[in-house]
Amino acid sequence: MKALKIKKSMQVAVSTVAVASLIAACGNGGESTGTGSNGSGSGGGETVTLRMIESLTNPDRTAMLNTMIDKFEEENPNIKVELISPPFEQADTKIRTMLAAKQELDVLESRDLNVAEFVNNGYLEPLDDYAAKWSDFETVTSVARAVGTTQEKLYFISNGMYQRQMFYRADWLKEKGIEVPKTYEELVNAAVALTDPANNRYGFSFRGGPGSNSVPDTMVRDYNADNVDLTDPNFLKSGATIFSTPEAKAAIELYVKLYKEASPPDSVNWGFQEQVQAFTSGVTAFLLQDPDVIASLQNDMEEGTWSSAMMPVGPAGKALISAGGAGWSLASHSKHKEEAWKLIAFLSNPEQNTIFSKGYGTIPIHSTAVEDEFFQSGPYKTLIEMTNLPETYLNFKATVDYPANGQWGTLNMETGQRMLLGQATVEDTLKEWDNFWTKAKEAVK
Amino acid sequence: MTKTRVLLSLKVLYLSLHLILMVFPLYWIVMTSLKPKKDIFSFPLHYWPQQFTLENYINIFKISKFHVYIGNSLLVSVLSAVIVIAISILSAYVMARFTFRGHKQIMMAFFSTQMLPGFVSLAPLYLLLAELDLINTRFSLLILYTVGLIPFSTIMLRGFFQRIPSSLEEAAMIDGCSRLGSLYRVILPVMLPGIASTFIFAFVQNWNELFAAVMFIDSESMKTLPVAMNSFIMKFDVDWGAMSAGTVLSVIPTVILFAFAQRYIVEGLTQGAEKG
Amino acid sequence: MTKQRTFILFSLLPALLLLAVFTFYPFFRGVVMAFQNYVLFDLTNVRFIGFQNFENAFNDPKFLYALRNSAIWVVSSLTLQFLIGLSLALVLRRGFRGRGVYQGFVFYSWALSGFLIGLIWKWMFNSQMGVVNDLLMRAGLIEQRIGFLSDPNWAMVSVIVANVWYGIAFFAIMLLAALQSVPAELYEAAGMDGAGAIRKFFSVTLPYIVPTIIATTLLRAIWIFNDPSLIYGLTNGGPAGSTHILSSLMMEKILSGGDYGSASAIGVIMLAMLMLYTVFYLFVTKSEKVGDF
Repeated sequence: MKALKIKKSMQVAVSTVAVASLIAACGNGGESTGTGSNGSGSGGGETVTLRMIESLTNPDRTAMLNTMIDKFEEENPNIKVELISPPFEQADTKIRTMLAAKQELDVLESRDLNVAEFVNNGYLEPLDDYAAKWSDFETVTSVARAVGTTQEKLYFISNGMYQRQMFYRADWLKEKGIEVPKTYEELVNAAVALTDPANNRYGFSFRGGPGSNSVPDTMVRDYNADNVDLTDPNFLKSGATIFSTPEAKAAIELYVKLYKEASPPDSVNWGFQEQVQAFTSGVTAFLLQDPDVIASLQNDMEEGTWSSAMMPVGPAGKALISAGGAGWSLASHSKHKEEAWKLIAFLSNPEQNTIFSKGYGTIPIHSTAVEDEFFQSGPYKTLIEMTNLPETYLNFKATVDYPANGQWGTLNMETGQRMLLGQATVEDTLKEWDNFWTKAKEAVK
Repeated sequence: MTKTRVLLSLKVLYLSLHLILMVFPLYWIVMTSLKPKKDIFSFPLHYWPQQFTLENYINIFKISKFHVYIGNSLLVSVLSAVIVIAISILSAYVMARFTFRGHKQIMMAFFSTQMLPGFVSLAPLYLLLAELDLINTRFSLLILYTVGLIPFSTIMLRGFFQRIPSSLEEAAMIDGCSRLGSLYRVILPVMLPGIASTFIFAFVQNWNELFAAVMFIDSESMKTLPVAMNSFIMKFDVDWGAMSAGTVLSVIPTVILFAFAQRYIVEGLTQGAEKG
Repeated sequence: MTKQRTFILFSLLPALLLLAVFTFYPFFRGVVMAFQNYVLFDLTNVRFIGFQNFENAFNDPKFLYALRNSAIWVVSSLTLQFLIGLSLALVLRRGFRGRGVYQGFVFYSWALSGFLIGLIWKWMFNSQMGVVNDLLMRAGLIEQRIGFLSDPNWAMVSVIVANVWYGIAFFAIMLLAALQSVPAELYEAAGMDGAGAIRKFFSVTLPYIVPTIIATTLLRAIWIFNDPSLIYGLTNGGPAGSTHILSSLMMEKILSGGDYGSASAIGVIMLAMLMLYTVFYLFVTKSEKVGDF
């Protein structure tokens, strides 16, 4: 009896394999299942299935997108949308691979970090012509347009803007009678004053792991202040890199002090997860982050224990800020470009974009939405305040056009960690950074 | 007498120490999964939750379709393990019973697959499966998981075959069974423990596989458990509550399987280790 | 005889065909990439560049560091897993009541994935909320929290601890099985010659389980060397690349840079090393019987 059972399953198995090997041997596809190919129905009433992939995935955000998509499908009964949500850590690798293999894909999430790469390989359709005919485009802010523009063309409609601000433990500062810091000097001093390793309290949520470059980049720019070329922010107006000046050395020395005297030793390896967790779990007092952490802070912390402030400024009283963003792109090999654009336009309309921004914690892309009470109060308020002080907070264009941009994060992390751990000097590290950008510039010429 | 006593207490001590070291991480994950989110990140750490809650478990079923993922993982893992056993029994039997030209090379081919670093093949595999139109099908995982396990299973099962005297099937063949018939009716029953341990090994490998499942499956309806678990690693934090709840759920089947079958495993391997 | 040949052919066909199409063919295509400038960042620029990727690897301090780490990682993990596994198997050899349940509790780690184990230990080693630091502090062994995963001196120790924890079960299971199959009459004979427990172990037990030891250590070493998942889950190679082994470095080349050329070159170097290792190992141990468990 048992033998019979085994035999049966064996037969099934063997025949399955036989079929598989046949398919493989002939080298043409079997019945494709599950890929959303459009039903080759007759004429007008056919349904189109769009495939869309997100990059900055998390379970709540996916749920939100699905709600938006449901509404879109309701309004467009002949369009179905299949949302692909890979885990955040592997999402970009998956998107890259799908694009390289020309897998069916209509809408994808590009990031300011990788849009140049996608454009380089011809994966994306320019959106200028579509946007020209889109009535909601008028209210899209210039910052949002800029972030989605590469090589003079628009390649993604941003789904929300990111901009750094400072989060701090209001209760701890009050307890110690410390003012909210306005400059980096003040920030370091406040952070040192709040550091108490015995009680597992530290001043600053340092980030020496993945994404470590954001704080040193910002500090070096703020210290170089007016000499920085705002259209090419890793270089001075003179053409040298921002890392080559005495101001840069002063900034980085302060940065090293911030780590050594006011941050958990462990944080040399932290990425944003650890950095944010340390803040929410009451280990650190200051955190420099984008508004999309606000949801985490609201969830995990007591009301009133924390607050937000404008970014610190450099010795010249200036700070250079830039908005980052990710957004929806149209795949150049999409077979349903019109429908795909319809979806992008829907997701990007003022109503949907505002819902999404509130839910995910970004600044909406429509000037009309920024006036919403929600963004004029609470933790978002300081962001808006910064944009209202253009003399102090100078806007620059992020360097998405350099192909080397993708490798900068890794190089900065590794050399930076060596410096923080005392295996390399500040001068040598700055020299490496200077070399990197000098070479990056040469490669573009 | 006292010497044996001392020995015995040393043994008990050693075993207890080992038990604590092995069980503690699991204990900690279970405790984490039963704590409310606020308590997971609060000082001092509590080794026994101050309030038990199932919110982490409820959450993972609410925000993601965990039952679907568990079903998918079970389906692919079991099916692939069955096919692996079926194919490997045939190849292992032949490699154990016959010598022929190329025998040694084939054995080497099986063994050499164990040395190939997986990531070298990732991009070419994606392109190959794309050409075959198998991306985003369960079939892709089924094939890859199966292929990945055939060599090791063949090597393992071959060891078991070598321990069974060939007189067994010869007797059956004289009785009019075909070679395959004698294989099913006479040898496999004798080898069951060995087959069980190979099956469990294959199942466990499939159940845990992450990268192929991330790359080759797009649709929610076909996602597997490790991929879903990986989704709790987000941009700003790891949702340790959800992560531990998911871990507990994903460990349960393997631990149950293991607890039930481990007598088989040891027995099977013991049988395999006897010198023929 | 032709009937027999047909039987052999058809029995091997499914396995060999599948391996040819889905293992060897993609792998060789991957090997070709090792000689190309193949970066996803710029696919318009894919071309053959000879041994450039290999040269780059050997000139990269990161690669050399990972090479060194790989050696440390394999040797220390393997030695500790083996010794602890063997001692456990010896203690468990004489059955006792509840041994089955006990084994269920100490062997389960074998059924988890490396990635998950990496995450579990990441959670436990966390310098702030981590239970390991908390236990050490409570026990009064340390004054300050240790940055297990951020201090380069500790990070490698931490990943090895997690890996040993993971791998003990495999050796314990395999060796226990081997021990249980040692015929009792051998011990009786040795006992008659007046051998004590220690001599029995060296003259009877060890020789009998040597084939199992050779096969398990050989395979396990290859797996440990090739599997980056635990390191990926635990430290992702950090801090400052101090816990990268070759396989995790290769993975990073793909995941962060899409640099398949460099990654494949590292893969080919790894394969060459493993082949040399295997030949050498089998030569030294004079074992012809690979995979005899």
